[in-house]
Amino acid sequence: MKSLLFLIPLLPLLCGGINALWGRRLPRRLAESLAVGGVAASFGLTLLLWPLSQGEGTRVTFFTWLHSGTLHVAFDMLFDRLAAPMTLMVTGVSTLIHLYAVGYMEEDEDYARFFSLLNLFVFAMLTITLADNLLLLFLGWEGVGFCSYALIGFWYREEENALAGRKAFLVTRAADVFLGIAILWCFRLFGTLSIDAVNAGAASLPQGTVTLLALCLLAGACGKSAQFPFMSWLPDAMAGPTPVSALIHAATMVTAGVYLLCRLFPLVSLSPVAMAAIAGVGAFTAFYAATCALGQTEIKRVLAYSTMSQVGYMFLAVGAGTVAGAMFHLFVHAFFKALLFMGAGCVIHLLDDERNIFHMGGLARRAPAVFWPFLAGALCLAGAPLTGGFFSKEGILMASFADRTPYYVFLWGLGLFTALLTALYTFRLVYLVFAGEPRQARPQGHLPSLMIWTMFPLAAAALVGGLLNLPPAWGGGEVLRHLLGSLAGAAAELTPTLEWGLTGLAILFFLIGWLFARWQFLPAPKERPTPVRTFFLRGWQADTVIDLAMVQPFRTLAAFFWKGTDEGMIDGLVDGAGLSAQGVGGLLRRMTTGRLSTYVAAFAWGLAAMLGWFLLWTLIK
Amino acid sequence: MIVPMSHILIFSSILFLMGLACVLARRNLIMILIGVEIMLNAVGLTLVGASALWHQVDGQIFVIFLMAMTSAEVSISLAMVVYLQRRKGSINANAFDEMRG
Repeated sequence: MKSLLFLIPLLPLLCGGINALWGRRLPRRLAESLAVGGVAASFGLTLLLWPLSQGEGTRVTFFTWLHSGTLHVAFDMLFDRLAAPMTLMVTGVSTLIHLYAVGYMEEDEDYARFFSLLNLFVFAMLTITLADNLLLLFLGWEGVGFCSYALIGFWYREEENALAGRKAFLVTRAADVFLGIAILWCFRLFGTLSIDAVNAGAASLPQGTVTLLALCLLAGACGKSAQFPFMSWLPDAMAGPTPVSALIHAATMVTAGVYLLCRLFPLVSLSPVAMAAIAGVGAFTAFYAATCALGQTEIKRVLAYSTMSQVGYMFLAVGAGTVAGAMFHLFVHAFFKALLFMGAGCVIHLLDDERNIFHMGGLARRAPAVFWPFLAGALCLAGAPLTGGFFSKEGILMASFADRTPYYVFLWGLGLFTALLTALYTFRLVYLVFAGEPRQARPQGHLPSLMIWTMFPLAAAALVGGLLNLPPAWGGGEVLRHLLGSLAGAAAELTPTLEWGLTGLAILFFLIGWLFARWQFLPAPKERPTPVRTFFLRGWQADTVIDLAMVQPFRTLAAFFWKGTDEGMIDGLVDGAGLSAQGVGGLLRRMTTGRLSTYVAAFAWGLAAMLGWFLLWTLIK
Repeated sequence: MIVPMSHILIFSSILFLMGLACVLARRNLIMILIGVEIMLNAVGLTLVGASALWHQVDGQIFVIFLMAMTSAEVSISLAMVVYLQRRKGSINANAFDEMRG
């Protein structure tokens, strides 16, 4: 029974491997069924093995991976109360996305490569989720990075897509360096890479070490989760096929950073400085991305920035000390974000690859089957009262407020204001795409039914997702917090009056955002580029700043090493040696005239010199 | 010895230098060969002189060898001169500079 745990990640790997090796020779339906079946079987297996996660969880070792001196790394897995719900979410949402992808990629010829990469992606994420040691986690971590690279640049024949894939790879790689440092440092400090041992041993470390270690972990998490300052890859990642975006944003990639911090929460929580940094990064990114989302014109880029913003909330939750809150928002977000991307994919499909929201409109009446699920997702994202998103976001804001220090209260204020912006940009998107009359783009394509009905389970999950962790004030039992048990972190302790007050405030901000969007974007919207809007559209010019601060100096340095050092110095030395030898040889060459007389004369002169020398010698003696 | 050894040496040196001068100064292959012959004979003269000085027969035997070798050398050289004349229509030594670097 225990060893069946390995099948959870191995099934997607196996199916992905089959598709990678023989996918093109298999009938298309079989290749697709394999891809979906592998992930679905993992989902079923997770449900079946759920009891194993109770109590202290179950630990299994598959085989020893590395053994050298004191370094001992095994393929071992921990299926505990944190990993089990995460695994369930990853496999569940991935199954629906795979099904959706079958419909979405209907006309693409390269289905074998697509589905094998998609399965590998899920395998890598499950490795992160279930890994019991940091090195195995890092393996999954890099696997996710590679798959995202290959999938974002899936349509690599257009250079723009290939560049986006490369950017995602490089930016996350830069952040991975910090995670690598943290892992090596952990090994040096603790002599082991087991996550449990690291968490348990952290308490005995000096404060400064813990802070630095946690900050390294934060930087690594920021890369995968697209948080400031490693956020610039996420909007460009929209170049990939929409199911990939859904997978990256909901189930497999951006949540990895949050999960890492939750996994190592006992270590991270020992350092108040690191916690403040996590919360600060989260709240700032949430605000930053929300403003950027306001200025976007492409449907998928709005959603990309909204993901960044929502993951920022999760970071804020970790920083505020509530793992349960972070995981709650992670799950609900996974449901509604996968749903929103699927909806966006349907819209793009219907409108024949039109992505500009100002060219859309009027889709509510023409495609109600897309509109209603999308609206459910949008309500969740905006935090409409009683939806899953409302409760999860509210829990995070309360946890931040409950800290009572000015810093956290400020972050709460920022988060609350971001909630208003979230409602604003979400309804802006909904009104522009679905309300009013069709503008330039008219629906023409047909939608495979697989693309439609996969949205409904997610819509239901997103709407009632609040039940996962309903706070007591609403009559709920905080199921998730109790499920996580000792791993859940601190609970917000607020008086009921204050709690209701904060909730009222959140509802008020939601209403303001909604009404403002309604007033602004419902009646025939016009696209007027103002400096502020362009600033937001470009993501606060983040790419320009990174270009100036990182890429240009790097290029200058590289050019110096290339032109100056390599071509100038090294090539100069080598070529110079050759050229001088050639020059001297050229001079010496003139002595070889080929004429007999010259040689004979040289003989004679040599003889004369020798004789002269002997004569001189005799005279001196 | 009637003739003093120093005279023989001085005479053969002059003969050798004249031969060398001939080899260096002339461009005609046959003249160069003649110069070489003169130099060889200068050496032969020194050998005979030395043989007489020390009352040893070795030097004279050596001269006989020298003559045999010289006749062989001259026959080969002249054959080559004929061959070179046929090849280039000239026996000027400067015409044969294919080994120029």
